[in-house]
Amino acid sequence: MSAKKTTKKKEEKKGEILPPEEIVKYFKDEFKTKIKSAEIKRRATGAKKKEFVNIWMRIDKSIFKDFIKHLCNLTYPHLAVVSGNDLGKTIELVYNFSIYFGKHLQEISLNVGVELPRNKPEIETICDYIPGALITEREKQEMLGIKVIGIPDSRRLFLPEDFPDNVYPWRKDEKTRKEIEKLYKNLHEGVKKK
Amino acid sequence: MAKGFPKSFKKALWVYHCNSGSCNGCDIEIIAALCPRYDVERFGIKLVGTPRHADVLLITGPVTRQQADRVKRVYEQMPDPKVVIAVGNCGNTGDVFYESYNLVGPIQDVLPVDIHVIGCPPRPENIIHAVAKAWTKLETLEAKK
Amino acid sequence: MSKEITQTTYQVPIGPIHPALKEPVMFKFDIDGEKIIDVDVELGHVHRAIEWTGMRRNPIQIIYLAERICGICSFVHPLAFCRAVENACEIDVPERADYIRVVHGELERICSHLLWAGVAAHEIGFDTVLFLTWEIREKALDLTEYLTGNRVTKAILTIGGVRRDIKEEHHAKINETLAFLKEGYKKLAHAFLDDKTVMMRSQGCGILTYEDALRLCAVGPTTRASGVKKDVRVDQPYTAYSDFDIDYTTPDKLTGEVNGDVYDRIITRLLEVKQSIEIMEKAIDQMPAGDIVSEPKIPKLLNYIKKTAGEGVGRDEAPRGEVIHYVKFDGENENPYTWKVRASTYANILPWIPMLKGNQIADIPIVAASTDPCMSCTNRVAVVNNANNKKYMLSKEQLHKLSIMKTRRLMR
Repeated sequence: MSAKKTTKKKEEKKGEILPPEEIVKYFKDEFKTKIKSAEIKRRATGAKKKEFVNIWMRIDKSIFKDFIKHLCNLTYPHLAVVSGNDLGKTIELVYNFSIYFGKHLQEISLNVGVELPRNKPEIETICDYIPGALITEREKQEMLGIKVIGIPDSRRLFLPEDFPDNVYPWRKDEKTRKEIEKLYKNLHEGVKKK
Repeated sequence: MAKGFPKSFKKALWVYHCNSGSCNGCDIEIIAALCPRYDVERFGIKLVGTPRHADVLLITGPVTRQQADRVKRVYEQMPDPKVVIAVGNCGNTGDVFYESYNLVGPIQDVLPVDIHVIGCPPRPENIIHAVAKAWTKLETLEAKK
Repeated sequence: MSKEITQTTYQVPIGPIHPALKEPVMFKFDIDGEKIIDVDVELGHVHRAIEWTGMRRNPIQIIYLAERICGICSFVHPLAFCRAVENACEIDVPERADYIRVVHGELERICSHLLWAGVAAHEIGFDTVLFLTWEIREKALDLTEYLTGNRVTKAILTIGGVRRDIKEEHHAKINETLAFLKEGYKKLAHAFLDDKTVMMRSQGCGILTYEDALRLCAVGPTTRASGVKKDVRVDQPYTAYSDFDIDYTTPDKLTGEVNGDVYDRIITRLLEVKQSIEIMEKAIDQMPAGDIVSEPKIPKLLNYIKKTAGEGVGRDEAPRGEVIHYVKFDGENENPYTWKVRASTYANILPWIPMLKGNQIADIPIVAASTDPCMSCTNRVAVVNNANNKKYMLSKEQLHKLSIMKTRRLMR
């Protein structure tokens, strides 16, 4: 009986546009306490003061893959980019999605943050649901030193081949800072000397 | 043309352009110099496709690590006498990119530069003026030979 | 993607970099005869470590750094950054500033699409059209210089508004340029859309299907030409676009059908030029009076940012697609804790693979140029021939020649 109920729910959800509060409720119903926080921000712009909506959510790492699946069931998202923060004890990844594109002035930006422990920064790939995530996942691997499990192609993207291994430019710890100092060059010094 | 330039040049000048990691602003102004408004081709200046035929090398951009080798190779492939023009602020002083872990330095640390054109990006008139100066320098170098 | 593509580290010099010279990119192809079987792309030659540098500077300095990420999109990157900071720190922007931002954004879009049209014509082999379009573009650049002071890097944005106003006395020149651009648009439409050779070369070539465009998260005219309706100006209210009635530009507006090939992308971009001219006219007419910046004193602004903690996202529609900046402040420093930039071309790299597969080598320049990448210069192309496993290099000039030869063959 519950299987019938969920399929009926899925069909309802796919066509319509939900207001932001309903979207948050949709995820909280499914994942309950694993959603650590959800915030809806609205800002107005232009002379007619139309509003755009940003939803910021922080979720637990264990439900990450299911969360993405749930999101794809709601509506197929557009992944803009994955941003990363080095927060000291954890490394946080912020997935910037946007949903409901294609409908006039109805798009909502959904930003999902996942924290990974620093000693084991691993996360599953979402390339099986959203193949367009490959480039941005490769970039996070080389810049923040996280490991994306199941990524189809794990080569370096932007850094040169002779860049030292295990040095991740966006990390803020002391070891990284020293390694980067070795490669750092201040162009103005060369010019002032002459 | 400015005072001091000879009335006629002995041959047409062939220019090769190389991008060592710039934002393309300078590159666009170089191409704008070819277009009907500034029309550098009326002086006989032509953009060629290989450094082996070129007399003048126009380089833009702060040199990234990946491009440093290639830029040197391009320079070595050009036949003597040759002139190098560094176009844009990035190549000359670094401009806003003055600190980075992936840049090898202003172009003059990698190649010997003869003429510096500053500006971000420099106007097409400045670029044409620089190429004309390169011309006189080339003719002096040829005369010395 | 077959893993048998061998890495090449050829020490050969940079290929010719004629017009359409942007950042160098390395393509690797698996071919069989003339047909392309598999594609691989290598990036990173222009990695200047901008995000790392930006985290050491204060927001006003970052605006000038963001301008130089790309020379043609030099308005959208600072705009996305300013919006991200304004969203993170909840700074309001006056209405007049929003309208001025629209005017400059659309002017930049016109300049960029005209540049692209010239490049595309050059890749097909019509150099005369290159000169025609760039000459029209010069007028638009004159207007840019009149309003901002420079042709390319404009320095017109600041956090909370714009730096220079558009006054009554400027309107005469703006209207004159817009009238000229409308005439120019008609010439361009005739040169591209009514020409049989362009149609033969570009129709059926470099197709990107609707499903691929959706799943690979493509952005900009590349994805709109495949029928996916994604345009930040129409999707989400930002600056003053929500006050105008804008629609998505898809090729079925002109031809009635959507194929997702190179010809559709040409149509999409030309229609967008027309749309931009109309939007500019509306913005100039309806501009409200008021301030142009919410906080003119910079030390006060920086002080406020220093004390505010928060994170924000700024999204924009660049001529090439969606640009997104993410900024996080920690409430103690005025330098951002994190700054992430995603330019529109990086979302359009993966679509190159399905677009190029199955096409001929001579089509590579026109297909690559049709996505209008901000790196449309392939400095070297390594080609692996599956038949007898020989590896050889094709430089950009050779590719360009192949492309022109194909055009001449079709013209007979």
